[in-house]
Parts: sequence; structure tokens; C-alpha cells
Amino acid sequence: MKNKINIYLIEYAINAILRQKAKSFFIVLVFTLLTFLLSSIFFITNSIKYEQDATVNSLPQIIVQKIKAGRHYDIDENVVDKILEIQGVADVIPRVWGYYYFANAGVNFSIVGLDEYEKQYKNSFDKIVKKVELENNNKSFMVLGRGVEKVMKNNYYKKYFNFIKPNGTLKKVNFAGVFDADTELESNDVIVMSKESAKEIFDMDENKATDIVVKVSNPKEIAMIASKIKLIYPDTRIITSNDLKVSYQNIFDYKSGVFLAIFTISLFTFFMIIYDKSSGLSSEEKREIGILKAIGWTIDDVLKEKFYESFIISFFAYTLGVGLAFFYVYMLNAPLLQNIFTGYSQLKTSFELPFVFDIQTLFLVFFLSVPSYIGATIIPSWRVATLEADEVIR
Amino acid sequence: MIELKNVTKIYEINKNNKIIALENINLKIDEGELVVLKGSSGSGKSTILSLIAALSKPTSGEVIVDNKQISKLPDNFASMYRRDNIGFIFQKYNLIPTLSVKENIILPLVPLNPDAQDIQKKLDVVTHRFNISHKENAIVRNLSGGEQQRVAIARANINDPKIIIADEPTANLDEKLSLHFIDILRELKALGKTIVIATHDPLFFDLDFVDREIQIHNGKIIL
Repeated sequence: MKNKINIYLIEYAINAILRQKAKSFFIVLVFTLLTFLLSSIFFITNSIKYEQDATVNSLPQIIVQKIKAGRHYDIDENVVDKILEIQGVADVIPRVWGYYYFANAGVNFSIVGLDEYEKQYKNSFDKIVKKVELENNNKSFMVLGRGVEKVMKNNYYKKYFNFIKPNGTLKKVNFAGVFDADTELESNDVIVMSKESAKEIFDMDENKATDIVVKVSNPKEIAMIASKIKLIYPDTRIITSNDLKVSYQNIFDYKSGVFLAIFTISLFTFFMIIYDKSSGLSSEEKREIGILKAIGWTIDDVLKEKFYESFIISFFAYTLGVGLAFFYVYMLNAPLLQNIFTGYSQLKTSFELPFVFDIQTLFLVFFLSVPSYIGATIIPSWRVATLEADEVIR
Repeated sequence: MIELKNVTKIYEINKNNKIIALENINLKIDEGELVVLKGSSGSGKSTILSLIAALSKPTSGEVIVDNKQISKLPDNFASMYRRDNIGFIFQKYNLIPTLSVKENIILPLVPLNPDAQDIQKKLDVVTHRFNISHKENAIVRNLSGGEQQRVAIARANINDPKIIIADEPTANLDEKLSLHFIDILRELKALGKTIVIATHDPLFFDLDFVDREIQIHNGKIIL
């Protein structure tokens, strides 16, 4: 049986690529660079969007903050009981949290205080208090996010850390382990310890909390319950999960805009190359088409060969570009490009981009690049191939 | 076998500049005949070859080969006609210099997607016949002029065409190689091929195996 795929034609196409080594190398280089850049942008965006979505989904339904002179102050824990009385409220949890600036590394850690007897407002915290005793025999323990652990290790803190309290004295807290939450964004810069230790480090009064989280039985009633709390406590700021989603989305959209600019520049460069290529063939290339036609190749044969030639070169560069982007984003954690997104938190510990495999992204980059290049190769070849062979050779 | 009826070919350089390459040409070439078209440069010899090979179309008139009018064939059919019937030896050989001898010779077969054995068989026949088998893997640009011409002849014969067309075949060869080419022609003629040669090389005149010599001048047949 005759082979359907014309191996000789493919061989000829490969030879044609290899014959023009410098030109082919340049095309592969530029094509690879652009697909690499496009893919990297999409991969980073996907990863961050995934983190963002996961973070947004784990946000508390309502947060109550004490406001004085337009600033956020610690809130009395006895507010909890009054809010619990509101119909539709399922749970009210006072939170203790804050930032600690670690001067050695120039980064901020987020400290979260938990009480093992309380219901936790996040599943990941529930797991911690079930596993680890944060206070034991007058010793304080803490569980570190991966980013924090890395920074601590780099600064030779392997068993414990001495926090400097606002009054200048030290608070020693021992390491009890590392925790993984659902997302890196959520847990990377976090230190979890007992409420007692956290309050001591932040110099907070015993009956105070940083803010209060309210859980509502029916999510449709969030806005209504928020307005009731505001009526009872006019000196508070009520933040609903919806408000937080909007603010997170705004940050993401702004960062996406920066990426969109890079994306546009990449596409522009790519299409400039495509335009340049589609505008004509070299005299050598024209002559070759003329020779092929003169010895009996049809227009279809010429175009088939040009298709193989452009497909091999563009698909090779596409695969290489995407492969490099995978390595760059998920192995090297996208140095430089990632900073555009996370640059706002120079003071935060770096986080690792989660691996998000999105076949649509791969298709999108493929359709933006490979068919355009094939078209740009075939169209001028078709123009020459449809001329009289005699005219082309002469 | 080959018939040109009232053929005129005009090249339009631009609106105000037209070149009449052939004017009202009538010519008949029988099967197995060897015809030499003589004439100076620009006389129209190559244009006749180009029309017979369907590389270009006449402005008016008909070109008939094997009772088929090839002057009106659509482009793809013209290519197929060339592939099946014509072996063209160009003045400048028109080889692809960066390919090997073998790759150049089998080029007309590539679109047919033949099996490897078939290709090898045909390749062996032409490389031995035209004495180039020892250079099969050499890159064409590294060959001498004579060798390149033998590659071009081998390529023109790989499909075993009925008609061989040669355009100024000895223009780039010295006398010794030109005489060798004449020997090859004799061999092809003996194989029963119809051969049309355009040349102004006196070596081709009055050869015993040439059936006819036709003088072309300013796009017209004189003798």
C-alpha cells in the first residue's frame, strides 16, 4: 500500500530549512522568543488568577473593624456576643493578626493568632490547631508558611525566633512546623501562633481583637446583616466578601493591564515579522519554485512543500517556546516577569507560582503564532507558483 | 507528435514596451525526430522550447502535442504534462546547488510519492546511463560544469519522457564536454526520444543523426 504521507516531500522541506541555516536560525530564534514571552505571560496570569480565585473564595463573609479618626483600631471582644444575637448570624470569631517587619531580610510577615478552643474561620487553621499545640508547658510555638521558613533558614533561625515587642523586649517563639494552605498567596508569608503570643508581640490588650469575622447562614443575607451591624456599631467599618472581591479584582485587573501591554508588544512584533515575510520571497526562493514547476511540480505540490516547511519551523519554535516558558515559570518561578505582578509587595516574602495546566492557553498561543506564520509563508509562495514557470526562471 | 500552428508570442514588458518573440510560427516535429533550432541570441528559439514544454502560453495560436492542445492547459495540468512527457535540459542547468546529485535527480518524482525501491531503480538507470553514479552523494555546487550538466540530463530523463528539450546545452561547456554531450544525444535518439535542441553552437550543425535544422530569425522560421 502506498504511504499517504509523502516522506520525500517532508525530507525536501527539512532540507530546504537546513539549506538556509542562518535565516532559519533567526526565524526560530525570534519565533521561540515571542512564543516564550506570550506563553510565560499567560502561564503567570493563569497561576496568579488561580491563586486570586482561591484566596477570594476563602475570604470571610463579613469583617467588622473598629474605626477611630478614620484609622483601624483594635476592637472589643465583647462585641461578639451582641452580633451573635442578630438573626441569621451563624458564627462570630474575633481575629488577632498583624504584620511583623523582619529587618534582617527586609520583609513583612503576617502573624495570625489562633485559639485552639475557638472555631477557626479557615479550614487550614483548623488543621493546624488539631495537629499542633501552640502553647505547651509555658513554651510558645508557631507554624510557618513556606516563604517564612525559607527566609528564617536563610538567616540561620532553625528552631526558634525572638520577636521584638513594641516595648523593646523579646518574645521567643519555637518553630513547630510548616503548613500548606490551599494557595501559596494565602499561606506563604503567614506565621500562625497562639492568640496569646500574637497579642504579646503586638502589645494588644487581653480583651481586644484585630477585627471580627462574621459567618452568615444564608449568603444572600450578607448585605442585610452587615447593615444591621453597622446600625448597632456606627463606629465600625463593615467589609463584606463582595467588597473584598472587588478590591482584589481591581488589583488583578491593574496588573493584568501591565501584562496586556507586554502581550500587545509581543503580538505587534510577531505580526511585523509576519508582514515582512508575507511581503515577498527572495530571488533565490522564487527561482527554486520556478525550477520545481518546470520539472513537473504542480502549484499544489509547491504549496504542500511550503506548508511542511513552515509548519516544521513554526511548530518546532512553538514547542520550544512553550517548553521554555514552562521551565521559566514553573521551575525558575518567572524571575523579572513575576515581579511585575508581585512587585507591589517588595516587603512580602516571595511566593511560588502554582502549576496550572490550561489547554486553552496552549491552543491560544498556537493559533496566534503557527497558522499566521504558515499563512505568511504560503501566500507569497502561492503568488510565485501561479506565475508562468518560464517567467519565474527567466 | 509536436505541432505549432500560427503561434505568436508577445512579451509585454509594460504598456508601451512589447517584444514580439515569435510571429506566426508553424512547425511540425514527428515522433523520434531530432530537430535543431538554430539562430542568434534573442531570435526566439528558447521561446519555442518554452511553449512546447508548456512553461509559457502562446499569445495566439496552438501548441499541440500527441493530438492534445497543451497551450490552453490549466497550470496544474501543464505541470503534470511536463512531468509525464518532457525532459528539459536548461542552459544554466537549473539545479538546486545545495542539494546532492541524487536529491536533484529524483526531484521530478517527489510529488508522485513513489516507493523507495522504485526511486532507486530509476535513479540507477539514469546515473549509470549518464555516467554520474559515482557522484550520487556529492553536493551539486561542488561539481564541475560537465558533471552538473550530466546531473541535469539525468534529472530530465528520470521520468523516461518521450520528449527531450535542450536549451543551449553546450553554452557553458568546453569542446570536449560538448562532444560528450553530443554522444549522449545520439544515445537518447537511439532510445527513440523526440529531441528538440535550441543552439547556435556550430558543433550541432550537419551531424549525421540530426533529422532537421531549422533557422529562426527575429521570431520567424527562415528555413
